[in-house]
Amino acid sequence: MSGGAGDSRQRSGPRVAVVLGSGSVKCAAALGLLKVLQREGIGIDMIVGCSGGSLYAALIALGHDAGTAEAMTRRLWTKELTKRRNNRSILSVFLPRVFGFDESFGMVNDALILDRLKEAFGASTFEEARIPLYLTATDFHTGDQVVFGSGRIVDAIRASIAIPYIFRPWPIDGRLLVDGFMSDPMPVGVAIRQGANIIVTMGFESPYQHKINSPLRFAFQLSSITSNNLLKSNFAFHNLAHHAEILPIIPEFKDSIHLFDTDKIPYVIEEGERAAERQVPYLRRLLSGV
Amino acid sequence: MEITTEQRGTVTVLSIVGSVDGMTASAMVVSFREQVSGGNVLLVVDFTGVDYTSSAGLRALLETVKETRQRGGDLRLAAVQPDVLRVLELSGFTHILKLFPDTESAVASFPA
Repeated sequence: MSGGAGDSRQRSGPRVAVVLGSGSVKCAAALGLLKVLQREGIGIDMIVGCSGGSLYAALIALGHDAGTAEAMTRRLWTKELTKRRNNRSILSVFLPRVFGFDESFGMVNDALILDRLKEAFGASTFEEARIPLYLTATDFHTGDQVVFGSGRIVDAIRASIAIPYIFRPWPIDGRLLVDGFMSDPMPVGVAIRQGANIIVTMGFESPYQHKINSPLRFAFQLSSITSNNLLKSNFAFHNLAHHAEILPIIPEFKDSIHLFDTDKIPYVIEEGERAAERQVPYLRRLLSGV
Repeated sequence: MEITTEQRGTVTVLSIVGSVDGMTASAMVVSFREQVSGGNVLLVVDFTGVDYTSSAGLRALLETVKETRQRGGDLRLAAVQPDVLRVLELSGFTHILKLFPDTESAVASFPA
């Protein structure tokens, strides 16, 4: 294997995939992983992202270094994103017939997140990525995982981060899509289907609510319970059903990290780097086949 | 990877040192199979010296747990280190395997 983490689309030897699961700001730990892979000259043959991980997967695949990616996400992911409510949608909960409650429900006006995504990714397409990129979302009507590997990256990310209750589902090619974590919070299976032999994966459990003092927190708690159990069962299935080597990189956060704690991104990256460094000797042995 | 075996009454203690991964898991499986085929189905695997396990390690553990339980025994883990414990938790293996803080308590957990 030759080259650093972010170059060619063709390599010889084992095919290395990086899979970045959901986890909002915690997903910035992927930049710590990227730093380690670049430093060690370990190449990536494909990258898969889901939900918060889709942002970092796309940034890495497009060739941004860790510093640039960090700066971009700090501009993109701020508390302002959820400040503008979608009042009509909220009212439709209480008066569904009057305000026409439907599948486009989302409590936050998503214009700003879309503007920010366009600012960060412009008209970039999957085909322009330096590393083959796959992003996942979930079909709202069937629950199926939907994998994007072509087309506009902005659309795929917007679908992949369509957090239930917060951002409205996103339509692409006639399908209505919600957050990728709803079908698989750490989509290792995508990398396996794409022929990866060695899968370096980073994913996070959804946080549980400390206090349930609103219907939204109640809903988030139920969502976390479901998605965390889904994460474990899917991860176990992929570990046991396939022969690819799956290396989970699990950063340990002593500080609690909340949805918009972007000021903690440097700390998150540091922990990601630390966790990745612990696996370098093993990864090296695997790549050299010793 | 180094594997040492010690018999403590009816319980066989296998101490593993090193990473349990795609390159080493087969050696562990061979060692486990030798014990099971020899009728030793009460196994304690001492993970004090295991710093990492990948998917291959999980597959090896599951195979042996199934084998031992089918024969009326069990495989129990002792002294699992934090990095390995996180992998076991993430894969739900902490619900499948019985874990103990040390070898002594794992051995004692089997009926005398």
